[in-house]
Amino acid sequence: MATPISYSYQPEDRVPLPPRDAKVATTACDYCIVGCGYKVYTWPLGREGGPRATQNALGVDFPAGINAGKWISPNMHNVVHVDGAPHHVVVIPDGDSKVVNVQGNHSIRGGVLAQKCFNPNRPSQERLLHPMMRVRGTLQAIPWEKAFEVMAGISRHVLDRYGEAAWAMKTHSYGYFENTYAISKLAFAAINTPAYAPHDKPGPGADTPGLDWAGIDAFSASYEDWGAADVIYMAGTDPWETKSVLFTSWIMNGGNPDKKLIFALPRKTTGAAWGEQRGGLFLPVIPGTDTVLHLAIARIILENGWEDREFIRTWIANDWEIDVGMGRGPRNTPVEWFTTWGRYGVGFDAYKKWLLGYKYAELATAEQISGVPAASIRQAAEMLAKPRADGSRPKASFMLEKGIYWSNNLGNTTSFSALGLLCGAGNRPGRVISRGGGHQRGWMGAADYPRMLSPEKFPGRRKKEIDLDRWVEDGNVRFAWVIGTTWMQAMAASQGLIETFGRITRGNAHQIASFDPKAAVETLKRRADSGGMVVVDQDIYPVDPIGTQFADLVLPAAGWGEEDFTRCNGERRLRLYSKFYDPPGEARPDWWIVAGFARAMGFKGFDWKDSNEIFEESARFSRGDVLNYYPLVASAKRQGRRAHDLLRELGTQGIQTPIRQVGDGLVGTKRLHDSTLELGPPEGATTHPAWLTAFNSHTGKAILLRSYWEDFQDFHEAVQPVGDELWVTNGRINEMWQSGFDDLRRPYIMQRWPHQFLEIHPDDAKARGIESGDLVAIENDKVLVQTGAYQGVDDADLSFTALRKAGNITSTRGSFSAVAIVSTAVRKGVTFAYFGFPGNPANAVVPRVPDPVTNRYRFKLGKGRITKLGESPYKRSLTSMSFAPRNIV
Amino acid sequence: MDDLSDERSCLSRRAFLLSGGTAVAIVGLGPLSRAFGAGTALQVASYPRKRVARVSQLVEGTPLTFTYPWNDLNSTNMLVKLGVPAGGGVGPGRDIVAFSTLCTHMGGPLAGQYRAQYRILGPCPLHLTTFDLTKHGMVAAGQATESLPQIVLDVSGDEIWATGVMGLIFGYHSNLAVRA
Repeated sequence: MATPISYSYQPEDRVPLPPRDAKVATTACDYCIVGCGYKVYTWPLGREGGPRATQNALGVDFPAGINAGKWISPNMHNVVHVDGAPHHVVVIPDGDSKVVNVQGNHSIRGGVLAQKCFNPNRPSQERLLHPMMRVRGTLQAIPWEKAFEVMAGISRHVLDRYGEAAWAMKTHSYGYFENTYAISKLAFAAINTPAYAPHDKPGPGADTPGLDWAGIDAFSASYEDWGAADVIYMAGTDPWETKSVLFTSWIMNGGNPDKKLIFALPRKTTGAAWGEQRGGLFLPVIPGTDTVLHLAIARIILENGWEDREFIRTWIANDWEIDVGMGRGPRNTPVEWFTTWGRYGVGFDAYKKWLLGYKYAELATAEQISGVPAASIRQAAEMLAKPRADGSRPKASFMLEKGIYWSNNLGNTTSFSALGLLCGAGNRPGRVISRGGGHQRGWMGAADYPRMLSPEKFPGRRKKEIDLDRWVEDGNVRFAWVIGTTWMQAMAASQGLIETFGRITRGNAHQIASFDPKAAVETLKRRADSGGMVVVDQDIYPVDPIGTQFADLVLPAAGWGEEDFTRCNGERRLRLYSKFYDPPGEARPDWWIVAGFARAMGFKGFDWKDSNEIFEESARFSRGDVLNYYPLVASAKRQGRRAHDLLRELGTQGIQTPIRQVGDGLVGTKRLHDSTLELGPPEGATTHPAWLTAFNSHTGKAILLRSYWEDFQDFHEAVQPVGDELWVTNGRINEMWQSGFDDLRRPYIMQRWPHQFLEIHPDDAKARGIESGDLVAIENDKVLVQTGAYQGVDDADLSFTALRKAGNITSTRGSFSAVAIVSTAVRKGVTFAYFGFPGNPANAVVPRVPDPVTNRYRFKLGKGRITKLGESPYKRSLTSMSFAPRNIV
Repeated sequence: MDDLSDERSCLSRRAFLLSGGTAVAIVGLGPLSRAFGAGTALQVASYPRKRVARVSQLVEGTPLTFTYPWNDLNSTNMLVKLGVPAGGGVGPGRDIVAFSTLCTHMGGPLAGQYRAQYRILGPCPLHLTTFDLTKHGMVAAGQATESLPQIVLDVSGDEIWATGVMGLIFGYHSNLAVRA
């Protein structure tokens, strides 16, 4: 029997109150897409406010009221340094908020934001403090200038000898407009490298092509719309687990608290159980099969004539309208107009004819493939589209996330958008088709990704964005700069990638042995010339293994709360994220580090004094786009003010982009494609793109897209569990954020989740002798991996079948350990783990064969053999890790 | 001003007694160390002692309510015999525990939400947070930023006494300080 582990989380029984004169700043949460508004109080140590409203900065009497958003929990307090002096800091949800997190609602993630602030007496002491170079195997502090000198020296060599595509960047895509603008200016304007990938995928490009191609912006909805809907179809997401306040403030409440919820998930999560209890529906779909489920629901709707005919007549493009643009825009499919003309987009009549004759849309077939009972499929169709007795229609909205677009990216998203459009959703209050969202929206590109330089190409002539992982594995990258991501654990077949990285970095004979920058550069040149790769890792914490084991240089970044930044949330709400305390040691914001390197390279245009200068410069690149904040910057300029300061005045409310100038004021945009929005003539710096009031296609009409199960079937069959294997799907849970970079430093969270977990059905557990609390191994001996095949020539060249035939599919092995949680929440045959738990990523058993059209991984389709290793130390612990069901409602 | 129990004294004085980590000996605490076991932190100031129940009157799975350390709404707690050993559990089966019934997320009422089958308190009717009563009130799933405050219990013969609180009770800025 394992020895029980006791986490030493020590709950406090008091918290210091901010005195009346505490300094107040506004910000928004650093984590999920919802982007709740927060207030930050800082004041010097040695004083505290009192419990009377007149004695504290919150202006309330204590005890604070229930559900009033004015209570400070001990985890909302920390001690930081402000201008070198120790200060109390309280980070509290804005109880005065009228938007997003109304009345100070918050998630467990945002509620413990204060604990992410650097405090040398708490676990956040592990922050990176100095630039470091690995000299003789050990990371050692060096000055910033020396780090830039080494980076520039090796970069020049790599660019000169191997070209731009050998100089790679792998960066977060969300870490604030100021940083991503600097990153993209360096990568795409100065260096012009195609070897670039965001943190969550192997290359740039669309995540939800089925929405984009249909003319629907993935973030067109407002939170009000989810609140006002009568029924919501949620595909591959439970916002209760991952977008907490969107669920608890807007879906449980909002304009229509009696709305019905339909969840299509392999696992009955809290939100799904709650929705079902209140008259909703749970569709327990087998991983990866949502396409046939969507098609079957759509077919029942069409068979019964429940489609929204008036909407379709007005807003759905017919065949002629799709063809009329001569290849630009109207078909809206980057692939289609060179290669697959007429394959996806069709008018309503042709769509209906196709669907009614398509065998994979038949109810019995769909039931068999998706595992969802026919009666439930029929009921979903009724709930979404059957007109009421008085002829009115339920206001149906459609939310999708990674559960569907990271399993069958193209098929699931095209069938999803078509289903929503048939129900009349997409451009009206309470009737929307949108992503729920993951991280916030902080990308502002200074230049476009140089697709023409990418090594990849679709069949036909069109270029395709890179799959950077395959590019590295195939030995094409000599220098890689990693910013704010684990890279390998966040990608598929993680352990194969880790092996490659190890081999071409530490496994290379040429390792830095001198602090002299010139000598270091000479060593690294020999590394590159012998087929090895130089790695720079820039982050806030030591990241294993990219920073701790592989990087030659590690650079300390300053982040949330340590610099003035801006970003939008899932309803395009722009806010200022205020700086309120000193970054630790020599840590600097990403933009400053990028600029330092760029100047060392001799690039022009990287001379910013502060982040506001970048914000103002970047604004012009947002013009005409959905995140357009140019009118705000123009307005600030007219007033002779800094744009950050104008935004600061808008506090936690901020303003929804695209921002428009009306008269002397600035107006936000609630939803996109809004058929109810009335616009006057554009004023001042304002632009009025057609998609403000129409769909984002050539004609302003949405496009119905056909989806083909056959395009995916070969791959789905190849990754099916065989023998005693089970599906090992993965996702997020409420209490953790992404790779756990902050959670690892929060004892409160680590007592709850000290180890990776695996939810397993009681029947599957019993057959393997597994009980809750047992430590299990999850092993996949056949993790499929694609190699090569960068370019397609004939139509079917990049299909899975063709790739396998051509020898481009190999396999590797992957394994991780987890603590079993036996639960009826998962369907039999399916297990669920946290996608990227530190040290034990479930992505290890996930195939690395991207969608051939979009280069998106099928993260959710892992599998493995589950065996019991023994009891975990948590099984009998009375202090760590709960095994209670998560979905008690 | 709220009522105080008779046993309470020196409320304005703050005299914390801290222990944490398996190596710390909790000398002199007697019942407290048994209650919370090695490795569990506890912070006990001059909390009052208050008799809250009798072991003989408890029915497994049926909670009793009581107020502690004050007598206001925020000090409402429940005491329950779980039927399985629990962190901080007292009594012969180490299964008698007591917790605040205000959700540490936003103060939602948890009274009446005990699920005996799972030894879970919740879901909170406001935002669906649940707490695991076998593990010191740890969040099982949900939004709360603190475990549910656990009332430190002491058994003396048949009598169960409340002697302290682990964690800040919702609404308070201090469990012991004078309020507005």
